[in-house]
Amino acid sequence: MPTVLAMADFDLPTRSASGFMLRYIAPRVEPVQLLGMLVRRLPFRLAAPQSDIIIGTGHGDVDTFTGQNEAILLEVGNYDPIEVKGKVIKLLSCQTGVELGPDLVKNGCAAFMGYTDDYVWVMDSDLASTPWADKEFAGKCLMPVVDGLNALLDGKSAGEALNIELESYSRNAKMEEDELVKACIEFNRENAILIGDGGASIRARPSLALPFKLIPPPPLLMPV
Amino acid sequence: MASSKEEWGRYQEALRRGDKEAAADAFRRYLEAKKAEGKGSSKPTLVNLSSKAKDYPNAVPLESIPKIMQEKPEFFDLMRRIVTKEK
Repeated sequence: MPTVLAMADFDLPTRSASGFMLRYIAPRVEPVQLLGMLVRRLPFRLAAPQSDIIIGTGHGDVDTFTGQNEAILLEVGNYDPIEVKGKVIKLLSCQTGVELGPDLVKNGCAAFMGYTDDYVWVMDSDLASTPWADKEFAGKCLMPVVDGLNALLDGKSAGEALNIELESYSRNAKMEEDELVKACIEFNRENAILIGDGGASIRARPSLALPFKLIPPPPLLMPV
Repeated sequence: MASSKEEWGRYQEALRRGDKEAAADAFRRYLEAKKAEGKGSSKPTLVNLSSKAKDYPNAVPLESIPKIMQEKPEFFDLMRRIVTKEK
């Protein structure tokens, strides 16, 4: 079963979040990987039913999750349940845990992981073309998300994956000296939620191959 | 000059009181203190993944936070939630 990995990258926050997915998650999973202009409703609708996990980074609201240029991918009451049935879904987005997550679970999604308030972090905008290199700022919030996703891809349950993400936030917050970065880490940790079956898991994927551990993707040259 | 930690405490208090002007001033002083302490040499920007239905931008350079807090009530409230952890 393929993975749906939707990575919008049209502005600074989506570029930063998707950059970390591109660096640490994309090399581990088979297509379908939707990047940039492909993160739209039609490709998503075609790919989603075939997958066992949906991972998405994009802007969101209480009832919507969006892709490139805020094209709606999932909206409460406006998708086919077959797109989500039996799947583990992780959305790195704002507030989708309020209404969209519960609606996805009501329509058959095995486990939903998202956030109940805005997802916020500090990034270094000088590193927009190599966002994965932003370890001083963005990495403090986004690496816990990567840790949780890697746990899922290792075959761990959704509940275990969430705990790994939360522990990773706590570790980073404890070591952080910058007050604003620390406040963002703690804010995201408090808003991370799991809805549905905490015991749900997916087929384990091979771990990151050695070349990808050492070599980052080429710089992203599209303007944001 | 007060330390960045002290200025951050003042910023938190101003957010709790709902005092936009004091919060904006305190955040400006916080950034100045950080600079004086030799931190923040790159181009840090506060970003979020909320939809455009909100009245605040998705990317705010740190030096623009005081101005945006004063202009956009929803952004002031977001900063209040982030910093004070009060819903």
